[in-house]
Amino acid sequence: MISHLIMAPVLLPLFAGLLILLEVRQRLWLRRATGLIATALLLPIAFLLWQQAAAGDITVYRLGNWQPPFGIVLVLDQLSAMMLLITALLALPVYLHACRGDDQPGANFHSLFQFQLLGINGAFLTGDLFNLFVFFEVLLIASYALLMHGQGPQRAKAGLHYVILNLAGSSLFLFGLGLLYAATGTLNMADVGRVICAGELVSPLLLQVSGALLLVVFALKAALLPLSFWLPGAYSAASAPVAALFAIMTKVGLYAIWRMWPLLYGLQDSPLHGMVSPWLWGLALATIAFAALGVLSAQRLAVLASWLVLVSVGTLMAALTASTPAAWAAGFYYMIHSTFAAAALFLLVGLISAHRGVLADQIEEGSGLSPLLGLLFVVLAVMLVGLPPLSGFIGKLVLLQAVPEAAFWIVLLLASLLLLIAFSRAGSTVFWRHQAGGKPATLPLAAAAPLTFLLLLCVAMVVLAAPMMNVAASTAEQLANAQGYIDAVLGAAEVMP
Amino acid sequence: MLSFALNAAFVMVGIAMLLGSWRVLVGPSLTDRVLALDTLYINSIALIVLFGIYLGTSMYFEAALLIALIGFVSTVAVAKYLLRGDIIE
Amino acid sequence: MSVLFAIVLLPLIAALLPRLVQSMGRSTVAIVTALPVLLALLLLLGTAPSVLVDGELLQAAVPWLPQAGLMLAFRLDGLAWLFALLILGIGLLVIVYGHYYLEKSDSGGRFFSLLLLFMAAMLGVVCSDNLLLLVVFWELTSISSFLLIGYWSGQAAARKGARMALTLTGAGGLALLAGVILIGQTVGSYDLGTVLASGDLIRSHALYPLMLVLVLLGVFTKSAQFPFHFWLPHAMSAPTPVSAYLHSATMVKAGVFLLARFYPALAGTDLWFVLVSSIGLVTLLLGAWMALFRHDLKGLLAYSTISHLGLITLLFGLSTRLAAVAAVFHVINHATFKASLFMAAGIIDHETGTRDIRKLGGLRRYLPHTMALATVASMAMAGVPLLNGFLSKEMFFAEAADTPLYGSLNWLVPTLATIAGMLSVAYSLRFVHDVFFGPVPAALVAHAPHEPRRLMRVPVEVLVLLCLAVGVFPAVVVGPLLAAAATATLGGELPEYSLAIWHGLNVPFLMSLLALTGGVAIYVWRAPLFALQRRWPRPHAPAIFEQAVQALVAVAGRFVRFIDNGALQRYVSWLMLPVALIMLAAMASRPDWLGEHALTPVDGLSILATIVAVLAALATVVLRRQRLVALLMISVVGLIVSLAFLRLSAPDLALTQLSVEVVTVLLLMLAMYFLPSRGVIESTWWDRSRDLFLSLSIGVGVGLLALFAMTHPGATISTFFIDNSIPGGGGANVVNVILVDFRGFDTLGEITVLAIAAAGIYALLENLGLCLPIYDPEGRPWAKDRSPLVLQMISRAVLPIALLVAMYILVRGHNMPGGGFIAGLITAVALVLQYVASGVHWVHARVPHNYHPLVAFGVLLAGLTGLASLLLGYPFLTSTFEYIYWPIVGKFELASAMLFDLGVYITVVGATLLILARLGKLSVVEQEEGN
Repeated sequence: MISHLIMAPVLLPLFAGLLILLEVRQRLWLRRATGLIATALLLPIAFLLWQQAAAGDITVYRLGNWQPPFGIVLVLDQLSAMMLLITALLALPVYLHACRGDDQPGANFHSLFQFQLLGINGAFLTGDLFNLFVFFEVLLIASYALLMHGQGPQRAKAGLHYVILNLAGSSLFLFGLGLLYAATGTLNMADVGRVICAGELVSPLLLQVSGALLLVVFALKAALLPLSFWLPGAYSAASAPVAALFAIMTKVGLYAIWRMWPLLYGLQDSPLHGMVSPWLWGLALATIAFAALGVLSAQRLAVLASWLVLVSVGTLMAALTASTPAAWAAGFYYMIHSTFAAAALFLLVGLISAHRGVLADQIEEGSGLSPLLGLLFVVLAVMLVGLPPLSGFIGKLVLLQAVPEAAFWIVLLLASLLLLIAFSRAGSTVFWRHQAGGKPATLPLAAAAPLTFLLLLCVAMVVLAAPMMNVAASTAEQLANAQGYIDAVLGAAEVMP
Repeated sequence: MLSFALNAAFVMVGIAMLLGSWRVLVGPSLTDRVLALDTLYINSIALIVLFGIYLGTSMYFEAALLIALIGFVSTVAVAKYLLRGDIIE
Repeated sequence: MSVLFAIVLLPLIAALLPRLVQSMGRSTVAIVTALPVLLALLLLLGTAPSVLVDGELLQAAVPWLPQAGLMLAFRLDGLAWLFALLILGIGLLVIVYGHYYLEKSDSGGRFFSLLLLFMAAMLGVVCSDNLLLLVVFWELTSISSFLLIGYWSGQAAARKGARMALTLTGAGGLALLAGVILIGQTVGSYDLGTVLASGDLIRSHALYPLMLVLVLLGVFTKSAQFPFHFWLPHAMSAPTPVSAYLHSATMVKAGVFLLARFYPALAGTDLWFVLVSSIGLVTLLLGAWMALFRHDLKGLLAYSTISHLGLITLLFGLSTRLAAVAAVFHVINHATFKASLFMAAGIIDHETGTRDIRKLGGLRRYLPHTMALATVASMAMAGVPLLNGFLSKEMFFAEAADTPLYGSLNWLVPTLATIAGMLSVAYSLRFVHDVFFGPVPAALVAHAPHEPRRLMRVPVEVLVLLCLAVGVFPAVVVGPLLAAAATATLGGELPEYSLAIWHGLNVPFLMSLLALTGGVAIYVWRAPLFALQRRWPRPHAPAIFEQAVQALVAVAGRFVRFIDNGALQRYVSWLMLPVALIMLAAMASRPDWLGEHALTPVDGLSILATIVAVLAALATVVLRRQRLVALLMISVVGLIVSLAFLRLSAPDLALTQLSVEVVTVLLLMLAMYFLPSRGVIESTWWDRSRDLFLSLSIGVGVGLLALFAMTHPGATISTFFIDNSIPGGGGANVVNVILVDFRGFDTLGEITVLAIAAAGIYALLENLGLCLPIYDPEGRPWAKDRSPLVLQMISRAVLPIALLVAMYILVRGHNMPGGGFIAGLITAVALVLQYVASGVHWVHARVPHNYHPLVAFGVLLAGLTGLASLLLGYPFLTSTFEYIYWPIVGKFELASAMLFDLGVYITVVGATLLILARLGKLSVVEQEEGN
C-alpha cells in the first residue's frame, strides 16, 4: 500500500473548490462551511506531511504510476513540506478573516480561494517543470480573479497590469521550457540535474538561454526589482484577505528558484554556474533599497505593506544567492516570518480601513482608533522593522550572521532604518493624530482573532527559535544535496498494489 | 495524370489564396475583407483536401470539416458584428 | 541563579498587570506596579553581600538561539548591580511620584505598563551576559521610550519628539547590532565574559575601527552625545516622571553603561581616546552652554543632562583607570540629583501650570519645601562641596588636569572643563534663583500655587537625602558600591583613590573654586550672554528633523515614481529587457545555428503561405488601431498557422488551433463592442524605438534559437511516449495519450484553469455596467433586425451536424486526431452560433443555461476518474483499458482515460459557454434598459 496523503494538499482544495462551484443555490453559509472545512483540514494534513519529511526521506509520488522522468511526480522533501505548512497556517486565519464579510460582494470567492490554494500547494509539490507551469497558471488565473474580487476601478487597473505581465511571463515560461527540453530532453527537475551532471547536454548554450529565461519568469513571480512594479499596485488594490493570502505568492517564485538552484543554477557542472549569481545579488540588494524607499514614500498603509513584501523579497533573494546552507537556513526562517507578518499587516490594514470609513487606509489624520488596533500595529511594526525581540529581529540577526557581506549589511540595516522611520511616521499619524472627542469604535475581539493567530505564530517563532533554526538548517542541507534529490526522484519504484 | 492535375490545382488554389489575402489586406471596405477571409477559409479547405489526396491519407479531412464549420461561424459572427455590433444579444 | 531571572523578568511579566487592572482604580494600578518592582529591588539587595562584599559574579543562562550565539544569559557583577539599583530604586520612586503626578484623565494603566516594560528593558541591558541579548534589550528601551515619550499622543510636540528619539536611538541600535555581530564573529562568541577577556584580540583586528565606530554610534545616540544630542531636549514632551526616569537615571545612561561595559574590550587605543574624549568634551561644553539659555525648566535640565553625560563620556575617553572610576561615580551622583531635579520641575509645573522660567519667580513663598529640596539638588549639580556632585566633579577636574594625551594642547582640557563647570554653576543658580526668588509674576499670584501632596514629595526627599549622605560620608555610603562597580568596569585591579571631601589645596580644588566663583559671575552678568545667544541662529531640532524626514519622503516618492511611473508599457519593457539581453548574449556567442539535422525541403506553396502569414502579421501590427481589421488580419495568421501544422504532420495541433481560433475571434468581437473602434496614438518616438529594439532582438533571437534547437536533436523522453503509447496507454494517438494519461495531471490542471477562468470571469462581469455605442464605427445606426430568419434557420441546421462532428472527434480521440478539448470547443462553438443567430432568450428557453455546475462537473468527472485508481491501490490517475467485443460494433476499446477525456470535454463546453454567454448577457441587461 502506498500513502496518498501527499495528494491531499492538491486534491482537497480542488474538490472543495469544485463542490462549491456545483452548489447552484449559492447558499453563503454552505459555501463558507465547505471552504472552512477544507482549509482547516489542510492544516493537519500539512503537519503530517511535514513530520513525514522531517524524518529526512524524500517521498516521491508517481502520478498515473508512470516512471519518472516520463510521468509527472510529486516530490515531498523538507522544503516543500515546510512551504505546505506555511500555506496551511496562513490560509486558515486569512479565510476566517474573509468570512467576516470580505467574501461578500461578488460571486465565487470561496471556490477561487480553494483554487488559489490548489495552485500554491501544487507548485510546492510538483517535481516536474511543465507541471509547475500548469500550477503557475492555476495560481495566476485564480489570483487574478481574487484580486478583482469586489471590483472597483483601482482594482481593474492594477489587475490588468498584473494579468498582462504575468501572461507575458507565462509565454516566456513556455518558451524557456521548450528550449530546456531541447537542451536536456527532459522536463523533470531531477532529471534536468541528472542530465547536466552526466554531461548529456545537447548544447550548453540552449541550457543557458532556457535557464536564464526561466529565471526571468521566476523573478517576475517573486517580484525582483525591475520585474516588481506590478506588485505594489496589485497588492494594495486587493481586499485585505486576498492581499494577505498573496503574501505567500512571491514566495512561490522564490521557491522555484530555490528548488532549481541546486539542480540548475548553482550546480557545479552546470553551464549556468556562476552566471546568474552576480545579477541576482545586485538586483536583490537593489530591490531591498528601492522597496525601502517605496515603504517610506507610501501614502497608504496597504501600499506600505505591499512595498514591505518587496523588501522581504529582496532580502530572501540575497540569502538565496549567497548560496550557503547557513544563508539558506536563515532565509527560510526569515521567509516564514515575513509571510506571516506581512499577511497579518494586510489583515490589520483591512480592519483599520473598515474603522476609518472613507479615509480608509490613507496615512492621514483621522478619527480615533481602538487601542487594541494600536497595540497590534505596534507589535507588527516591531516585527516587520526587525526590532527585538520579535521574529523580525531574529530573522535579521541570523541573516546578517550568515551573509557577511558589507553591501548586504549596509543595505539591510539602512533599509531597516527607513522602515523604522516610515512605520513611526505612519503609526503616529494614523493612531496618534486625531481630532479630539468621539470615543473610538471598539473592535470586536473576533475580528482581530485571525490576525492575532498570525502574530502568535510569529511569537512562537521567537520562543522556539532554536528548534526552528535546526529545522531550517536541515531543510537547507537537504535542499543543497542535489544528488540525494536526483536519486530519490529517479529511483522511485513502480507501485504494485 | 493525377499528379499533374494535383500540381495544377495546388497552383490555382495558391493563386486564389494570394488574391484572397490581398483583398483582406487592402479591403477597401470591411465587407470586402470579411468576404475575402471567408474565401480564404474555402481555399484552405480545398488545399487540405488536395494535400490529403497528395499524401494518400484521409487523416486531414477532419481539419477540412472543421474549417468549414468554423469558417461559417466566424463569418456569421463578423457579419452580425457589422450589422448589430453586439453578436450575442 | 533564578534570582537573576526574577530580577529582570519580574517587571517584564508585571508590565501586563497595570493595563489589566486599570478599571480597578488608580491606587490599585500604582500598587500593582510598585509591588513587583519592590520585590525585585529586595531581591537585588539580597544579593548585595555576595556581589558587593565577596565580589562574586552571579550568572544565569538559558539557551535561546544558541546556533546564532543568542543566549538568555544574565550576569550580576558590580557594574550591573549598581545600574540595577539605580533602575529599580529610582524606578520605585518614580512610580510613587508618577501616581500623584498623573491627571485623572490620563490612562494610568497604559503609563505604568509602559514604564514597567521600559524598566525591564533597562534591567535587561545592564544584566545581559550576552552581547546579542544586550542588543535585544537595548532596542527594547528605544521602543518603550518611544511609546512613553509619545504618551500624550494628542500633542504634536510629543509625537515629533518621540519619533525623533526613536529614529536616532533606533539607528544607533542598528549600528550597535552590526558592531556586536562583528565583535562576536571576531571573538567567536557573544558571551560577555569571553568578549571582555579578548580585548587584545579585538583591538588588534583589522576591523577594530569599524567595530568601535559602530558601537560608539549606538552609545552616542543613546546618551545624546554631540552631534546626536538634539533628540533629548525634545523628548521632554514626555510626562515628567518619564523624564525623571528615562533622562536622568536610565535610558541615557544606557549609553555610558555600554562604554563602561565595553571598557576592557574596546578601550585603550588612540582611536578610542580621540573619539570618545573629544565627543565627550564637545558635548560637555555644548550642553552646559545651551542649558544656560533654556527658558523651559525641563529643557534646562535636559541640556544639563547632555552636558553631564558628556562629562562621563569624556572621563571614559580619557582612558585612565582613575577616570573610569570617576565616571562610574558620576553616574551615581548624576542619577540622584538629576532625578530629584526633574521631579521638582514636575512639581512646579504641576502646581503652577507652567515650566517657563520667565513666567516663574518667588515661589519660595508658595513652595518652601520644594524650594529647599530643589536648592540642595541644584547645588549638587553645580558641584558645591558637601554634596555628591562635588566629589565626582573634583575627581573629574583632577583627571582633566593631568591628562597627558593631547600633547601640546594639554592645557585645553582642564580649561574647557573649568569653563563647563562655570556654566554648570550658572545654570544651576538660574534654576534656583529665577524660580524660587525674586518677585512673583502677576499670573502666578492669581494661581496661588501650593505644596503638592506629601507623598509626591517623598521621592524627591529620598533622593536629596542621598545627595547629602554621599556628599558628607562618601566612603561609608557609596564606597563599597563604587569599588565593586569600578572593579567590574575595569575588569581588574582598582587604582588608588580616596573618597574624601578634603584633599588639600590642590589643582582640582582650585578649579572647583574657580568654577563656583566664575559660575556666579556668569549668572550675575548673564544679560550680555543672553543677548549674544539671541543673535545666534537657534535651529529648532524637531522642525529640521521633520523637514528632513519630509524631504526624504518626498525624494523617495519622486524617485520611486520616476522609476515606477505606473505605465504598463514600461512594466512590460522591463520584463522584456532581460529577455532581449539574453537573446543578444546568445546571438553574440555565435553558435553554429544550423546543426546536423537536415532541413525539411520546402515547396512553393509553403513559401507562399509563409509570405501571406508574415504580411498578415505585419498588417495586424500596422493596422492595430482599426480593431476589426486587425482582428481579420490575425484570423488570416491563425488560419495559415493551422495549415502549417497540417503540412508538418501535426493534425491534433491544427484542429486545436482552428477551434481555439474561432472562440478567440468571438471573444474579441464581444469585447470590441464595448471598446472605441479606433485606438489612440499615445506612444512617443522613444517608446517606439524601445519597442522596436525589444521586439527585433527577441523575435530574431527566438527564431534563431528555435532553428538551433530543432537542428540539434538529442535524446529526449518522447521516445518513451511513442513506445509506450499503445502498450501502456492503450491509444494509438500519442498526443492524446500524453494528454489524458502520461501527463493527465497537467491536463487536469489545465481544465481547472479553464474552470477558474470561467468562474472568475463570471464573477468579474457580475453587476458590471458598460456604456453601449448607439452607432456603428461609421456613425450609422445599427441594423434593426436582431435575428435574421435565414441565419436562424441555417444555424439550427448546423447544430446537429456540428454536435455529430464533436462526438466523432471526442470518441476517436484516443486513437486518431481529436479528443475532448477539440470536441468541447466544437460543441461550444455550435451552441454559441445559436446565441448569435437566435439570441440569448431563444437559447435559454431551450437549453439549461446555468453553466457553473457544468464546468465543475466536468473537472470533477476527470478528477474522480483519477481518484478511482486509488481504490485499487494505484497512484492517482493510473489508467486502465480493456478491449471488449460488442455485438454489431465489433471489437471496441474502453479506457479509463476516455472518461477523463469526457471530463475535459464537459469542462471545455461549460467554460466556453459560461464565458461567452456571460459576455453576451452584459448587453442583454443594458440594451433592455436602453430600449
